[in-house]
Amino acid sequence: MSVALIRVVIVAVALGAWEVFGRLGNPLLYVPPSAALPALGRLLTLQSYPELGEHLLLTLREIAVAYALAIAAGIGVGAALGLNRVVGRTYGPILAALYAVPAVVWYPSLMLFFGLDAASKIAFGFLLGFFPIALAVLAGIRQVNAQLVIVARAFGASGITVFRKVMLPAMLFTLVGGLRTGLALTVIGVIVGEVLGAKAGMGSLINHAYGLFRTADYVALVVVTLLLIVASDAVAGVVEQRARRWTE
Amino acid sequence: MDRVTPPPARSGQLRSEAVSRIRLLQLGSVALLLGSWEAVARLGWVDPLFVPAPSAVASAFFRVGALAMAGLGDTLAKTAVAYVISVVLGVGGGLVLGSIRPVRQAVNPFVIALYGMPKILVLPWIVLLLGFGTLPAVVYGAIHGVFPILVLVTGAVRDVDHTLLMVGRAFGARRRQLYWKVVLPAIVPTVLTGMRLGIVFCLLGVLIVEMFAGVRGMGHVLGSLANGFQAPELFAATALVSTASIVIVLSLDALNDRLSHWRGDTR
Repeated sequence: MSVALIRVVIVAVALGAWEVFGRLGNPLLYVPPSAALPALGRLLTLQSYPELGEHLLLTLREIAVAYALAIAAGIGVGAALGLNRVVGRTYGPILAALYAVPAVVWYPSLMLFFGLDAASKIAFGFLLGFFPIALAVLAGIRQVNAQLVIVARAFGASGITVFRKVMLPAMLFTLVGGLRTGLALTVIGVIVGEVLGAKAGMGSLINHAYGLFRTADYVALVVVTLLLIVASDAVAGVVEQRARRWTE
Repeated sequence: MDRVTPPPARSGQLRSEAVSRIRLLQLGSVALLLGSWEAVARLGWVDPLFVPAPSAVASAFFRVGALAMAGLGDTLAKTAVAYVISVVLGVGGGLVLGSIRPVRQAVNPFVIALYGMPKILVLPWIVLLLGFGTLPAVVYGAIHGVFPILVLVTGAVRDVDHTLLMVGRAFGARRRQLYWKVVLPAIVPTVLTGMRLGIVFCLLGVLIVEMFAGVRGMGHVLGSLANGFQAPELFAATALVSTASIVIVLSLDALNDRLSHWRGDTR
């Protein structure tokens, strides 16, 4: 049997088992695929949540703003730490130590400060996305061969040229990897923020459906959110591949 | 950026001087940050309802300390259970997936997909299923912790040097001996890396459950302080749990360093 066939069988068995157990179990807790699909249909035809589009757009907007901020701050901080040795050795360990804290402990403070609206989700998504980007920029700059920089300088290249022609190609791979991780974490941050407390957005819909024991609708919302996440990661993956080809 | 190494006789002294200068800079920056924060708060440039001065946070620590410590203890106990489950399942599963090729080929894509899937989406379902309290926190923490360990250990077992295995077999080692004498020592660094990643993930999972549907624990304490607009107490509790997790991770790092010295790694 080929590997692909085995994988298909695994998926089929899992779905089958889910169907059987879902039918046997409490319908408030277990939703078999035969009930999840109609719920997904109702969701997509805007019957269960007519304002689905607005919530989806809000979540996307929060992600976009948080990610833009995370890129800007991450590249800025990473470059400051990477380009200056003293700054790097002083604040690098502090950054790494803060990264060891499970970020969700900051969320209540952010919610208190920014309120229940989009701002606290943006702040939390930003916070999660910022660290991998900053650390990737820092690691990327550190792996640039110092001799190449010195030689380029010696041949009269300006600071900008050195950055564009020597440093960027050498660190691009690490940088793009960090940007991809940053996007994934920003998306998670925004959705976690919405689930933990929000008035609008996909996470708040999930929380609403859960709170009312509308479990089939909850499963449908999870599927839609998951598609959003997979799509965003797929875009990031394509960008990563492009960058890899450009470096080689 | 420069790669010039100082003469060996003086390098130790130079390094310790540099290190103490860095420490001084770090302490100075933190002091400066706290000082300017205090000044800004005293001058009334920020609303103390949302951003309390460090001195207010420090005095709040005495009011909220007992509550926060109890919450932290509760959270760490759940995290410890979740962590043990994660390590056992992660290392055990990794040994199976890493050494049996057909199983790995069939199952690994699903493991990777589950690792990448944001676990927040299943959180409401887990709470529906397991109710409020300790069990959902432990389960959700373990779900967070197991995947990084599983993925790393699978890779490490798969990549164990085949020459070593062949030589071992040629000298008549049995399967059990191969595992104990070759595979396990070879994967120790990866297991430790996974364990360091896993602890933060476990703690994260437990805290999220406590915030979402907790009745006890640090996550619940933080959530209710935020809901009660008790900013100084909230900041003090946040500082406490952050410090705890930094200490845990740094001591795992130190242990890791020790063990790699002991194994004779030159890294």
